[in-house]
Amino acid sequence: MMKRHMLSIVAVLTVLSLMFTACSGETPTEEPVLEEPVSEEVEVTISIWHQWSGDYLTTIEQAFADYEAEHPGVTIDLSKPEDTANALSVAIPAGEGPDIIGWANDQIGAQALAGNIVALDGYGIDMAFLNSTYEPAAVRGVVWRDQIWALPESQEGIAIVYNRDMVSDEYLPTDPLDFDDLLAKAEAFYNDTGNYLVCNQGLGNADAYHVAPIYFGHGVPEYVDDEGNVYLDTPEALAAGEWMVKFSAYAPEETDHDICKAMITDGNAGAWWTGPWAIADLEAAGIDYGIIPMGKPFVGIKTLMLSRNAVSRGNEEVALDIMKYFASAEVQTRLAVANKTIPAPTGAVQDSEVQALPTLSGFGSSLNLGVPMANTPYANAQWEPVGEATTAIWNGAQEPEEALIAAQEAIESSIEEMQ
Amino acid sequence: MVGWHGRRKVLTILAFIAPTLIGVTVFSLYPLFLNIFISLTNRGRFYPHPDCSKTLWKVIEPNCWLGEPPMGLADPFSLRDPIYANYTSLLGGLFTKEALLALFFIFVALSPILIAWRLNRHYARQLTPPISSGLIWLAGVIGVLSLGWLINLPDQYQLLLDSGDFIMVNARTILYVLVCMPLFFTLGLVMALILNNQFLRARTFFRVILIVPWAASTVAIMMTLIWQFFFRQQGTINQILSVFLTDYKGPAFLNRSIWAWVAVVLVNLWYTYPFFMVTLLGGLQSIPVELYEAAEVDGASWWQQLTNITLPLLRPVAMPIIVLSSLTTYKVDAIVWALTRGGPTAGAGKPGATEFVMIHAYKQIFQTQAFGRMGAFAVILFVGLFAATLYSLRITRITEGVYE
Repeated sequence: MMKRHMLSIVAVLTVLSLMFTACSGETPTEEPVLEEPVSEEVEVTISIWHQWSGDYLTTIEQAFADYEAEHPGVTIDLSKPEDTANALSVAIPAGEGPDIIGWANDQIGAQALAGNIVALDGYGIDMAFLNSTYEPAAVRGVVWRDQIWALPESQEGIAIVYNRDMVSDEYLPTDPLDFDDLLAKAEAFYNDTGNYLVCNQGLGNADAYHVAPIYFGHGVPEYVDDEGNVYLDTPEALAAGEWMVKFSAYAPEETDHDICKAMITDGNAGAWWTGPWAIADLEAAGIDYGIIPMGKPFVGIKTLMLSRNAVSRGNEEVALDIMKYFASAEVQTRLAVANKTIPAPTGAVQDSEVQALPTLSGFGSSLNLGVPMANTPYANAQWEPVGEATTAIWNGAQEPEEALIAAQEAIESSIEEMQ
Repeated sequence: MVGWHGRRKVLTILAFIAPTLIGVTVFSLYPLFLNIFISLTNRGRFYPHPDCSKTLWKVIEPNCWLGEPPMGLADPFSLRDPIYANYTSLLGGLFTKEALLALFFIFVALSPILIAWRLNRHYARQLTPPISSGLIWLAGVIGVLSLGWLINLPDQYQLLLDSGDFIMVNARTILYVLVCMPLFFTLGLVMALILNNQFLRARTFFRVILIVPWAASTVAIMMTLIWQFFFRQQGTINQILSVFLTDYKGPAFLNRSIWAWVAVVLVNLWYTYPFFMVTLLGGLQSIPVELYEAAEVDGASWWQQLTNITLPLLRPVAMPIIVLSSLTTYKVDAIVWALTRGGPTAGAGKPGATEFVMIHAYKQIFQTQAFGRMGAFAVILFVGLFAATLYSLRITRITEGVYE
């Protein structure tokens, strides 16, 4: 009997000690928050969650370092969370979110619905300022339900970036909307050299963004429009699907960003259907590249959004100043020259140095054909179904018609949830 | 013992169990109830936050307690109408005539093997069974095959799968467990038998080498990514094959349903067999040598010794690991996610070929953010796994020693 009592006492003590250790484990993480100095005017840390990566980021970090040097007391903390959408939905209500979110404009609707970002109209940003400072497409990208939700920094879209040493002019399509020509040239290139003409990371990997030029190039107006209409059961979408089936004979079966990058740097593919963000990597690999437009890509606007936490912490003025600084013509000119991006501020686009960049004309003509990325919450519902349907077509798991109708239904049913 | 009765006794007992009670309430019961509650709502990406002006939410919802109350443009989420709508949308397909009939046919087709198992158990108690157990098993397998052919088992299985994502994902996961378990056990047993052989040289060395995959499971994701490279189109397997076969252009294994399945089974086998091996080795070493010596004197062959001495005496060791491993295999997530992400896809709105229960839940929660629906999913799973755990406790008698 005694032994059994002892056992239960030991058990209870163990649980108790576990609980205490659990508690003591938590306290230190809370304390610094409480003891943080309140004197914000002197010292303030602005945290930015962003999507910049690779060689791209180095120049961007330098731009922020310059800001810190000019504004003593301001520290800018850059971080790139793995899964931004879910990280935000936990961090913002807990008051632990970033002050600024650097993200593409298609996230605006969903983030505004969730209340993670605040409209900028209340903070001295108005349409007059936007219209006078930024390119029209960029302005359209940051306005939703008549409110301004972000400042645009750059525009992006994809085009065919080819290796001049591998692909001669005879293998390049001349008309960006003639997909039969692209197919014929891919076939010829494959037969002549044994290599793939172009690697598209949306073909062979669920990625609705990178296949957009093919769908839109075949005449699909958008995957989903602002009213929630879906356009995947259209004859145009079907034509795109059927084209992909034919094209799959002359393209790698399995792709993603890294595979495509390796293919072009190793010389297994002549071109990479990609955006300005890849240029820094290609230059590092010493590839002499050219850019031609193909299809109608999604035109995304890279933006900076102001988080709700910045307002509750009283950081909104400093944060907004940093946003304006980063989205200014001066900084974006520098970044465009170094990173070959397409700036959103009009002043930067018209800068003579930027105008002279081959990437601007290359990607620029592709962007001119492009379809602006919607910022409604519906936009959130399009990515997965389109990506899955395209992969199913590519792998032969489904016939194009069946796959596209399934995607149509999947998007419609998630839009229905919202209405 | 003085004063050890009445209120004082109750208070003392309470004081002792209070910490545990609080712990259980905070860390188990509250999340469970919150989850059940969310499963009755339409919480999701379009209705992300609670209505903190309602008393109920003020009490139950952490987002209303601390930090800043949510204030986006979206409407707050609300109870579903009818309140169990999430459950019917998950399970509804199962209760149609076709699905139930398919389920029944599948059961009928599998029944010969159950009958064979029962018969064998019955004859095992007799000194001289009229038929050998091998024959009965053979008859059982033939029965399953012929019945399966007669009622077209694959079609029935497909019918069952088509009755809803929940059922499809569960049926596939159970099939996965059924495929994995015999492989885990066989490979584990073979390795254990080899290591148990006293004539084997450098036994310690082999023991260490064979346990490596188990040790590697602490860095499972990294190891799985190495495995993934084996199965790529430009990966190790295809590169080795292309050395021997001219003009060989290998498939992207992970883009083909069947191959992706094989890959997922193989990788999990690699991770899990050491667990079986180590446990069965312990079991083997506890079998008295005299039994084998006596069998040898009686002229029993190696196979007879295995089936009549080794396997029956391993049963007490084997049952718990099979049950435990079945449960963990059912809940497999990180390995499969790192290898295939649940793919290859079967098209929009359909679970991929290797989208097992946990992968499906992860995708629905973190990619589609269907919290309400997935709350219901979790509740149904909880009920099922809870029942399975209770049953496993019964057949393995793991906790019996504690109660006695």
